[in-house]
Amino acid sequence: MKRLLTATALLLATSGLAQAEGVLNLYNWGNYSSPELMEKFKAETGITVQVTDYDSNDTALAKIEAGGHGFDLVVPSANYVPIFVEKGLTVELDMSKLPNHKNIAPEWMDVEWDKGRKYSLPWQWGTTGVVVNTSVYKGDINTSAIWLDPPDELKGKVNVVPEMIDVISLATFYYGGEACSEDLEVLKKVRDGLIAAKPNWIAMDYGATEKMGNNDWAASVNWNGSSMRARLVNPDVAYGYPKEGYVLWMDSIMLLKDAQNAENAYKFMDFIMKPENAALISNFARYANGITGSEEFMDPQMATAPELLIPEEFKAAGHFLPTCNEKSREYMTAIWTELQK
Amino acid sequence: MAERSFHVSRLPGFAAIAVAVFVALYVPIATLVAYSFNASTNVGVWGGFSFDWYVKAWANDQVKDATMRSLIIASFAALIATSVATMAALGTTRRRKFKGQTLIYVMINQPLMVPEIVTAVALMILFGLVKQATGIHGLGYLVLAHAAFCVPFAYLPIRARLEGMDLTLETAAADLYATPWQTFRRVTLPLLAPGMVAGAMLAFVISLDDVVITEFVKSGGQDTLPTYMLGQLRRQLTPEINAVSSMLLAATVVLLTAFFLLTRKKD
Repeated sequence: MKRLLTATALLLATSGLAQAEGVLNLYNWGNYSSPELMEKFKAETGITVQVTDYDSNDTALAKIEAGGHGFDLVVPSANYVPIFVEKGLTVELDMSKLPNHKNIAPEWMDVEWDKGRKYSLPWQWGTTGVVVNTSVYKGDINTSAIWLDPPDELKGKVNVVPEMIDVISLATFYYGGEACSEDLEVLKKVRDGLIAAKPNWIAMDYGATEKMGNNDWAASVNWNGSSMRARLVNPDVAYGYPKEGYVLWMDSIMLLKDAQNAENAYKFMDFIMKPENAALISNFARYANGITGSEEFMDPQMATAPELLIPEEFKAAGHFLPTCNEKSREYMTAIWTELQK
Repeated sequence: MAERSFHVSRLPGFAAIAVAVFVALYVPIATLVAYSFNASTNVGVWGGFSFDWYVKAWANDQVKDATMRSLIIASFAALIATSVATMAALGTTRRRKFKGQTLIYVMINQPLMVPEIVTAVALMILFGLVKQATGIHGLGYLVLAHAAFCVPFAYLPIRARLEGMDLTLETAAADLYATPWQTFRRVTLPLLAPGMVAGAMLAFVISLDDVVITEFVKSGGQDTLPTYMLGQLRRQLTPEINAVSSMLLAATVVLLTAFFLLTRKKD
């Protein structure tokens, strides 16, 4: 018992010391931070990156708002970036410490949620579309009808990820509306459409990578990188870009106001904007990263993946989701709550 | 005579139900272990036999740190919870009935009744304030939080043991001029020990399992094994999780066997 006590006392003491020097606390989505990247960073700078996981933007926001969290960097989704800025939880970045800022691809520079990239830097981006097992259904997969009006082959075999904003936005596009819609006529169609479609779904769950991979589900609303991982184990799996509109998303890294290791955080942020390092992030989580020149360092199987390269004909149908106002969020929540019943 | 006495194993369907229960309990565990040897990157698709995920889990610092952290937190939480629960159990059973006893009983078991998420959010806000005021970030907060919700789990078996105990033994000890402390030390405590061990083990397991409160209370670099696994959920689950779970399972079996062998009474 005494030994256990000493061990813990030591552990607590060392974690206290580590705070002071050579440490960086990254708060990120689970299974999203390449260990190889952290090792390389440590080899170059001597700084140990402690990764702590979260599973939703809301958890991350709640914990950071409560204070006393001990994190330095956080990686929220695009529509959460303005919330972090408005609440004063993150700081404006000092560009003189980020010379690799110039490597951000031009299309990711002047983004809607952070004009001129003053607060956030690209981590990874992707799309939310549909994934279909083509041995079950051979028709057109580039449509949200796959899950909102499923063909007979797919009835009872479709999953929908439990992500309110993505799902309702996809449905709104399908019924002719825009993201964050406040148009009651469109929203009524969305609500009725979702409620009518739900009996055809098998689940509203995560885990499409596994369950599309082992033929448990025949289709799902899903992310592109996850769909690619499923295809690599099950060649029948294909990813579709709904032509009515699909969701583009990006997770960006931000520096927290109460960061205790801000200098280390700057070193890390500059480090990940080097193309060869950004490629490590992509190779691990299977999403693109938004840094010019990183493609040549990526796995060859990613460079040609149909899940990552949006076909020219579908490019215009992709939409970034803005930060919706209070009213449209209320509508969305109301529809979502009804859908969950 | 013999055919009239009640014996559960002679009830119709006993064997069938027993087999069904054991299958339901152990088939998922067996599947979990089998799939830990899966060569595929996908937890649900069998891709051939391999030890890869054990090697990967063993080399994954995040997994190793999270496991160690889980074990440390659970040990301390179980220790604290058992001490507190023992005192509480003695205080609520070894005395005359008093006013408000039911209230105290309810208060001790409060963590069983309040939804975990409520405690989690409350603790996050409270600890957030304390952490900001003191600047101290340590595992202590998690230990304290876990100890708090483990108390009822330790309390219930200890209290049951105390209530089932033969009170005349304590009276006899007092009659033989034992001081209250001697009575406690020589009579009550040894009789209570199995209840305390049961309570501590229950508390340990409950702490090891906890997700919700840990997720809200943890600071930077304080992922436990369950919160690490939760974080994986939205991206991808790999057989690495199975490998880690199988290793923990093996460790538990070894530990319990050792415990059994060491405490076995020689007849």
